[in-house]
Amino acid sequence: MGSNPIGAAIGMEDHLAATDIIGSAKKQGRTALNEVESKQILKQAGIKTTEIKLATSKEEAIAAANKLGLPAVLKIVSPDILHKSDIGGVKLNLNSENEVGKAYDEVMAAARKHQPKAKIEGVSVQPMARPATEVIIGMNKDEQFGPVLMFGLGGILVEVLKDVSFRIVPLTKRDAREMIREIKAYPVLEGYRGQEPADIETLENLLLKVSDFVEKHPDIKEMDLNPIFAYKDGAIAVDARIILES
Amino acid sequence: MKNSVGRLDRAFNPRSVAVIGDKMALGYMWLKSLSQFQGKVYSVQIDEREFPGIAALGVDNYLSLQEIPDEIDYAIVAVPGTVTPMIVQDCVTKGVGGATLFTSGFAESGTDEVRKLQHTIAEIARDGGLNLIGPNCMGIYNPRLGLRHSPDQACYDGGNVGFISQSGTHATFFTLMAPMHGVRVSKSVSYGNAAVLDSPDFLEYMGADDETEMIGLYIEGVNDGRRLFSTLQKVARNKPVLIWKGGATEEGNRATSSHTGSLAGSPQVWDALIKQCGAINVNSIDEMMDVMKVLLHTKPTSGNRVGLAAMTGGQSVAITDAFTGAGFEVPLLTERSYRRFEPFFDTLGASYRNPLDVSLNFPHLDRIIKSLDILSQDENIDSVVLEVSVPFMQHLTWLDASLLDELVDELARFKGRCRKPFITVVVPAHVETEALAIRDKLVAHDIPSFPSFQRGANALMKAIAYWQRQA
Repeated sequence: MGSNPIGAAIGMEDHLAATDIIGSAKKQGRTALNEVESKQILKQAGIKTTEIKLATSKEEAIAAANKLGLPAVLKIVSPDILHKSDIGGVKLNLNSENEVGKAYDEVMAAARKHQPKAKIEGVSVQPMARPATEVIIGMNKDEQFGPVLMFGLGGILVEVLKDVSFRIVPLTKRDAREMIREIKAYPVLEGYRGQEPADIETLENLLLKVSDFVEKHPDIKEMDLNPIFAYKDGAIAVDARIILES
Repeated sequence: MKNSVGRLDRAFNPRSVAVIGDKMALGYMWLKSLSQFQGKVYSVQIDEREFPGIAALGVDNYLSLQEIPDEIDYAIVAVPGTVTPMIVQDCVTKGVGGATLFTSGFAESGTDEVRKLQHTIAEIARDGGLNLIGPNCMGIYNPRLGLRHSPDQACYDGGNVGFISQSGTHATFFTLMAPMHGVRVSKSVSYGNAAVLDSPDFLEYMGADDETEMIGLYIEGVNDGRRLFSTLQKVARNKPVLIWKGGATEEGNRATSSHTGSLAGSPQVWDALIKQCGAINVNSIDEMMDVMKVLLHTKPTSGNRVGLAAMTGGQSVAITDAFTGAGFEVPLLTERSYRRFEPFFDTLGASYRNPLDVSLNFPHLDRIIKSLDILSQDENIDSVVLEVSVPFMQHLTWLDASLLDELVDELARFKGRCRKPFITVVVPAHVETEALAIRDKLVAHDIPSFPSFQRGANALMKAIAYWQRQA
């Protein structure tokens, strides 16, 4: 531990304020926050994310997985690698110390092989969240209206069918309510054909929290919570990405 | 910016108007448009060749704004672009209440030189506290005062609809069309490139204007989106605001920048803006007029169950498909209603389920009106729609003027006692002239009429969505 430029292995128990994380990223000339930083800020904003620890050695990775609970997920953490899974930088469903250790070596090797010049900060360790209906919340800035939130169901519905809704920040309760019901796939969230229904109220509150968070941090240029697993009694952001204004 | 309301009052309700630079080449369109103006009209023109033409219109001409021995509430500037900085400075010096810069060829042309010119003019106006409208626009229309920008525009009292348009054509078309649809304008403004005053300023003014009860807005882009967001939120809380966003497609978006030099922003974000502010989204001037007619001339409801009456079988199917397609329910009526129909309704080739197929109950007017009363009193029904089929009535050689007037009078009486929204669809088929004549009679009684089932259904549904949100 301690060799990490962001200041010690960032676990969720460390409470660097959002402004400090943003400030130190900017000082380093970075506009992209890594997943560990993004989730830490979001957690402080009251947005539930999977627990996450940054490991800089195999031993740290195993210890973190044991602490957070198996099965675990390992992901490469590097400001230079944007599409982690494409290069083999993500390992899911690791059920033992052995598997975690092996995955650590594989992820590091894959990163070095595909992007030898990439700056590698370590490997993030997270417990594997129980899969559920996936939704996404995105934030972008419109040149005329400022920050705008987007909501949709994950995967093909967003990418191919563009079944998404938009609202300008700040959102009211009514906006959050309407923006979820506006998408065509809304019946899926209500529990189509015996599927687990999503907790709509939690999703509404999540949108309001994101709106509030975005309003308080004008430095944030773009943000993606993708995917968010929507359960019948809560929701959790499984991956998160924040880009700062340059 | 609360004071912008009071500041624009002189320009929208002027007692004196000066036209700077009207000329033969323009057909003296500005001075001719002011022929009915209730206040004083002055001309400013330095070209001697224009003097006789101006004198022939009975207007006093001056060589400069400063020479006019009167306060000027509103100035119309139609001089060549290069002279505009000087004239705008003159308007500042004279202390005019507002100035419309008709001259075009500014930011919309896309060259740096004219962009700079627009910037210069804006700076002079801002520094001098001048309410500058435009450039590249037609300015203000106030039918009550006879303040017009086209000699074809009507003069009348009692208008209650405000129209704010980035385009001069749409302002002109809207104000010309409105009376034909029973929509009466309180004030309108075409504001073009919005170098100084922009849509939020006019929204704020119309929002506070007592004469204006409803506002239509044609917009291509805005300088300060956040200000539009907050102003629209405020204004739409008190008055219905209908928004037609020009350039809603990528291609249309490109056209806006060469039209008014606007940064248009993403179409999805404009949709979000309109929804979040509780405004009404429309996609054309026709749809704007359609929805306004319903909002102005029917009673509100928050329900979507409709009672439909068509004159023939095929149309009873078509009207039902159109209304169902727009999101309406077409429910069966109560048993009580069916018992009321039974004694008088001739069911030969006809039907009084919902939809009604009236057929040979025509030309018995009393049966038609009784049917409408039953529909409107049925507790399963939230609004009532009648098809008036011109070809069918002609076919029955029924369409003579006195019976038609009687029908319209009866419909007006029905509308008066009906507690629910009531609209008509006047189907023209091949007899468009006759259909227009019927529409005019209906409009005279403030009964909304539409030329197709789809347009009627869409307008009624948009109005209902608005009422639901207000409820």
